[in-house]
Amino acid sequence: MSNKKENIPPGWDYNPATWSQRIPIVILAIFGFLIASYLAVYQLHITNDVWDPFFGNGSIKILESKVSNVLPIPDAALGAFGYLVDAVTGIIGGTQRWRKMPWIVIVFGLAVGPLGFVSVMLVVFQPVLFSAWCTLCLCSAVISIMMIGPAMDEMLASLQFMQRVRRSNASTWKAFWGVKSEIQKVK
Amino acid sequence: MWGGILNSIIGLWLMSAPGIFQYGSAASNNGHIVGPVIVTFAVVSMWEATRGVRKWNFPMGAWLLVAPWILGYDSTLAIVSNMLSGVLVIFFATIKGSIEQRYGGGWSSLWQKNPQHLKEAEKQ
Repeated sequence: MSNKKENIPPGWDYNPATWSQRIPIVILAIFGFLIASYLAVYQLHITNDVWDPFFGNGSIKILESKVSNVLPIPDAALGAFGYLVDAVTGIIGGTQRWRKMPWIVIVFGLAVGPLGFVSVMLVVFQPVLFSAWCTLCLCSAVISIMMIGPAMDEMLASLQFMQRVRRSNASTWKAFWGVKSEIQKVK
Repeated sequence: MWGGILNSIIGLWLMSAPGIFQYGSAASNNGHIVGPVIVTFAVVSMWEATRGVRKWNFPMGAWLLVAPWILGYDSTLAIVSNMLSGVLVIFFATIKGSIEQRYGGGWSSLWQKNPQHLKEAEKQ
């Protein structure tokens, strides 16, 4: 149904915006959100303990570190917000959103891709700085990494669409924000 | 796909080996930083649309070949492990694997003058 021919980007074999493509990413983002929220609740001192079956005090060492609390809000809360952005921008829009809503696909791609990579690197520097590991922080990093690949195909379709907008006589700005009259000018 | 799986395993090895074998701090820190970066690039490259990301592991592999000498490792095991991992990472990153779908010319189409998706769009 959503793999109808007009929904498939030109030069592609499938539509990267179908629900079967997007739902798994949204589910991963929700898991990431739950894990990060759990860690944030500890960092806000609402709970006194963190589940860590492998590294003992490692989780607490990292979650209480200066780097984790350098901002006014704890870093896990920021992570939870990031996952929420991933999930929301993953859900919004129909199965033609790669051309009808390029902005949301590009925000989604940037949030999952480059931002996801940066957040993984921040998690990863913690063993270097504090010689400790944190099981749930690592789980969150794994989720972030798994989301990048499957999200990028849709971003590519939208970027290619924006490239065609630039070559046409439609307004790049309006097409980016999904103004129908401009979108229709572009194949 | 296979290259991505094998390089993820090597990345995980680089992450965990310092703790298992009690490397010195230079070798440990390098493993803890380079390992996860290699895993990230390798996992992202498992999907067809981002298969090109496997090549980002070339510089990581090259760094592993020189890092023991630049950072001055004190463990022979760490030197051997890093250099062997470096060679394998570079080799596995060359494995493209099969690409079964078309992607309108892929990422390189974005800076081509007459990309495949544009030609296909004009035909429609």
